[in-house]
Amino acid sequence: MAHDLDSVRAALVKSRGRLLPQTNVVATGVGYKVTRGRKTDALSIVCSVTRKVALSQLAPRDQVPSTIDGIPTDVVATGVIRAFQERTSRHRPAPGGVSIGHRDITAGTLGCLVRRGGQLFILSNNHVLANSNDAIRGDAILQPGPVDGGSFPGDHIAALEDFVSIAFLEPPSECQFAGGVITLLNAGCRLIGSKTRYRTVNIQATENRVDAAIARPLDPTLVKNEILEIGAISGLGTGSLGTAIKKSGRTTGLTAGEVVQVDVTVNVQYGPGQTAQFSDQLLAGPMSQGGDSGSAVLDNNNRLIGLLFAGSENSTIINRIEHVFSELGLTL
Amino acid sequence: MRRAVAALLLLLISCTACAGEREMPATIYEVKAKHTPRFLALPGVVSVGVGRDAGGVDVIVIGLDRARPETQASLPTQLEGYTVRVQIIGAVKAQ
Repeated sequence: MAHDLDSVRAALVKSRGRLLPQTNVVATGVGYKVTRGRKTDALSIVCSVTRKVALSQLAPRDQVPSTIDGIPTDVVATGVIRAFQERTSRHRPAPGGVSIGHRDITAGTLGCLVRRGGQLFILSNNHVLANSNDAIRGDAILQPGPVDGGSFPGDHIAALEDFVSIAFLEPPSECQFAGGVITLLNAGCRLIGSKTRYRTVNIQATENRVDAAIARPLDPTLVKNEILEIGAISGLGTGSLGTAIKKSGRTTGLTAGEVVQVDVTVNVQYGPGQTAQFSDQLLAGPMSQGGDSGSAVLDNNNRLIGLLFAGSENSTIINRIEHVFSELGLTL
Repeated sequence: MRRAVAALLLLLISCTACAGEREMPATIYEVKAKHTPRFLALPGVVSVGVGRDAGGVDVIVIGLDRARPETQASLPTQLEGYTVRVQIIGAVKAQ
């Protein structure tokens, strides 16, 4: 006999106090009973469980009766139900794709976990974990990053271990001879009424291939070896023209794109007057924003192919993972 | 004997010349690398890379921070046999 919605609801209200404490039951509700994979017309009391267990393995008090007040029940496996956690909130264990940062920065993204010398490390960018070269080994790394409310010592998750220094373009020269020549030249310009002025710069090897750093978790149980909404990394891959890619980042979450340029030499701004040139980069369409820096970039087979670190309104710039791993001596 | 030596020398010289002619043309990556410094020195150029056009042919792509008529006018459309394309990608910033 089919029951109407009101009577099923009334039975649910009466019985849920007894059902919810049962082992494995995580939710109760009203729904059409499903029999042998097909929805029937009969309303039932639905008990969601973490997993289905044979009746014989359950204590009588943990068995969901087949009917309650004559109304059929239906047991559905839904797994553990967790509260949805923002990427900018505190995660323990922390997976890839959530907010992280050196204590003196705003926030970036925890890329993924890597190994060096058999030990586990967090991989992200130099400008996320090492404050764009302005940090020393052992500095506190917070999850979430400071702009997301992370503070020391409550959210201290790791200590900076190592980073590849970024060589910035054209810092002012400290050469006194050049400075003297420039002073004379500028005095000459003033004399002839010209508005042109000269300045000295350092010309030095400024080629970068990676913006990368690693941090040592205070305890391995504080981090999780998978990436939010992606899962586990299956191995290492190589980005080529046309490779379909995805990333999981603090600001824009899970996004997908395609490698549209390779062997890219690009000038990247790090703040007022600070520019660094990177070579052999991958370029994809827009798939990131500020705060996504440090995201691991994977292909469609979940192979790690790069480390996201920069972008513009129309592009995303990615370090090749081959360079990141060789410059820091890393393995998966 | 002298004739034989002369013929051999001629043969060697012509082989060397042929070998020179058969030299592989520069790859798009070599051409891109050769010209990248001068492109990046132009106002507004932020990137130089290798992309692919709609027909699947590899092209050199020059990225600009915004519309730059003067820079665009000074850029070639072909470089040592490879097509050069210009794209406005915007200023690239660490994120």
